[in-house]
Parts: sequence; structure tokens; C-alpha cells
Amino acid sequence: MNPLVSRAWSPYAAGVLIGLLQIPAFLLAGTALGVSSSFVTVAASLLSFVDSTALAIPYFKSHVSSAKDWWQVALMGGIVIGAFVSVRLAGTKRPAMSAFWPRVAGIQSFGQRFALGLAGGIVLLLGARIANGCTTGHGLSGLSQLAVSSFIAVTAIFVGGIVASMFLKKV
Amino acid sequence: MSILSGVVIGLLMGVVFGFAFEKSRMMEPGSLIGQFQFRRFIMMKMLFAAVATSLVVLAVLHGSGMVQLSVKPALIGNMVVGGLLLGVGIVMTGSCPGTAAAQIGAGYKDAWATVLGGLIGAAIYGYNQAAIDKALDWSGIGLGNLGKVTLVDLVPGGFVAWALGIAALLVVAMYFLEQAFPWRGEIAADEKDTAASAPKNSRSTGRIARA
Repeated sequence: MNPLVSRAWSPYAAGVLIGLLQIPAFLLAGTALGVSSSFVTVAASLLSFVDSTALAIPYFKSHVSSAKDWWQVALMGGIVIGAFVSVRLAGTKRPAMSAFWPRVAGIQSFGQRFALGLAGGIVLLLGARIANGCTTGHGLSGLSQLAVSSFIAVTAIFVGGIVASMFLKKV
Repeated sequence: MSILSGVVIGLLMGVVFGFAFEKSRMMEPGSLIGQFQFRRFIMMKMLFAAVATSLVVLAVLHGSGMVQLSVKPALIGNMVVGGLLLGVGIVMTGSCPGTAAAQIGAGYKDAWATVLGGLIGAAIYGYNQAAIDKALDWSGIGLGNLGKVTLVDLVPGGFVAWALGIAALLVVAMYFLEQAFPWRGEIAADEKDTAASAPKNSRSTGRIARA
């Protein structure tokens, strides 16, 4: 059966495929796989419309200038497209929010879920930017370069996640 | 790499990434949060497979001198506090920065909130970077910046030997994970949360079984 139209892949096959993406990342983009700094590139670009001094801030400025920055934004866009094509080819349909939320977190409405997701998104990217990487940058790329920074960050991610997940019902 | 070629390369790589996130169900809230509760193992399996592959790739590319590593500096305070927040954020969003994009593509409308919040979070950090990093500089208690160090700088053996050795260990770990938690069972458990709209005919189960 054509794997593109099957509904699910083994996590091992998917993982190997993602691991192989390090080849074009290092050889063509000249960097390791990562996604979270694209949020800075997009945020800084949007802010520049309302705050003329935003791009004068060194951190913002350093995220909008190079081809690598836009490579990463395109990577995020590609992920959206890939997941969209994947569900279309397989005929998989998903609700507006996963049934996981009412079942495990007692979320009653889409509005509640949206509010929690918004607050969570702020915490998520604040954490990722403070740590200078996320589950991809530290979890995948950092660990596979045997980086000490990533061993510390991934341990902290798990500690934070384990403690926070204790407040939810069992998956 | 020009900006245009960077965008084209990024889009193509992203499509592969998006397929892998969606087909493996790694992007489901239940996969990520279930991992933190040690009740689902899709995330760990995929991470181990990706890291093992990546280690072998880098053993070849870096071992042969073709590429330089791209290691992040070990600022201990930033790694600890940032990592903790990131873990909490994963549980609040049921997502991480990359999988949020996959959730949007797969049709979860609530993932737009994650991305919107993420842009706000990135902006907050950008405006306050100097102050936040200063507050998290723990050099005063001897836990400052260790620099761009890797395991190989701390112990003898060299990158290739460590990379291949750890990759082999990860393969063994995946073998035992699969014995304990077969992946098809995990996908089936996961479909509980999407069952409301999943096709109910037997062909769909057949597809999973043969996938």
C-alpha cells in the first residue's frame, strides 16, 4: 500500500525520516534542524509594522536578516502543508479540538480550550526562547550532537512536563 | 543559500516533517502529554528513532569533516528555567512549537491559539531578552555558562565512537519499548480521541494494520 495514503506510520519510520532531514539541514541550510526561532522571525516582522523601533532591538534584528531565518519560517509553513496533504490523502478527519481535552482536562468549550492554548503558547515559546531551543532544536538536534546544553534542557522539559501533567487526568 | 533557495528548501523539508508528525500521531495532545505521564510512548519512540538516525548521519558528516556541529551554549539557568517552562507549555497546549504547525495542517482549530500565544511569547522574550538572561545568569553560584560543550569535550572517545555507541543503545531501547508497548496498539488507543469523525468502516482499520 502507498504509504502516503495510509492513515498511520510507525513512530520508528517517522523518526528515521525526520533524522534524515539533518542531511539537507546541515548540507544545504548549514545548520541543525530547529523550529522555535521562526516564531521570533515572524513576531519581529509583524511588530515592525506597529513598532518602528522593534527591528532596532538586537535580538529581533538578529532573527530577520539571514536566509536561515526564512528557511526556518518556510520549514514551519511546510509542516502545515505536509500535515494537511497527509490527512487529505488518507481521508483522516479531525474535530476543531481533540476529544482529549474534555476527557483529560475537563475543558467544556472551544473558548476555554482557546484561552488555555493561548496562555500555553505564551509559556511554550517564552520557555523555548529562554532555553534557545525546543523539542526539535534541543530534543532532536542538540541530543544528536551530544550537546551538554541539550541534555540539561531536555531533562528540564521532562521535569516541567511530568509535573504539569499530574494536574490532568490519566491519558 | 539565498533567501529564496532557503525558503524552497525549507518548504520541501517541512512537508516531509509534517507528514511524519501527522502519520505517527506524534502531534496528538495525547502523545505528548501521555508521554509525560508514561502512559503513551509514541513521542519517546519517535525521538529515539530520530536521534539515533541523526547520530549516524552526524557520525558520517561530522566524522568525515564535511560539516561543523551547531551546538548551543550551555547557559545553565536558561536551560533549566526555559526547559521547565517549555515542559509546562507543552502540557497547556498539548503541542510543541513544531507540532503546532502540524496540528493546524491536520485540522485542529485550537492550534491557532498555540501559534498566536507563541508569537506573543517570542515577542515578550525579545523585548526583555537582556533582563531575562541577566536574571537567569547563575554564575554567582557557579552555574553560569559552560559554553558550547559536548559530551565529547568532557570524556575521552571522540564523536564518532560516542555517536554510534549511543545510537546502538537507542536501538536496543526501542526494541524493548516496542515489546512493552506495541505501536499499533498506541495508535488505536489514540484514535479514541479522534474517533468522533474517523471513518468507521473496516477499511480504515485495515489501512492501519497494513501501514
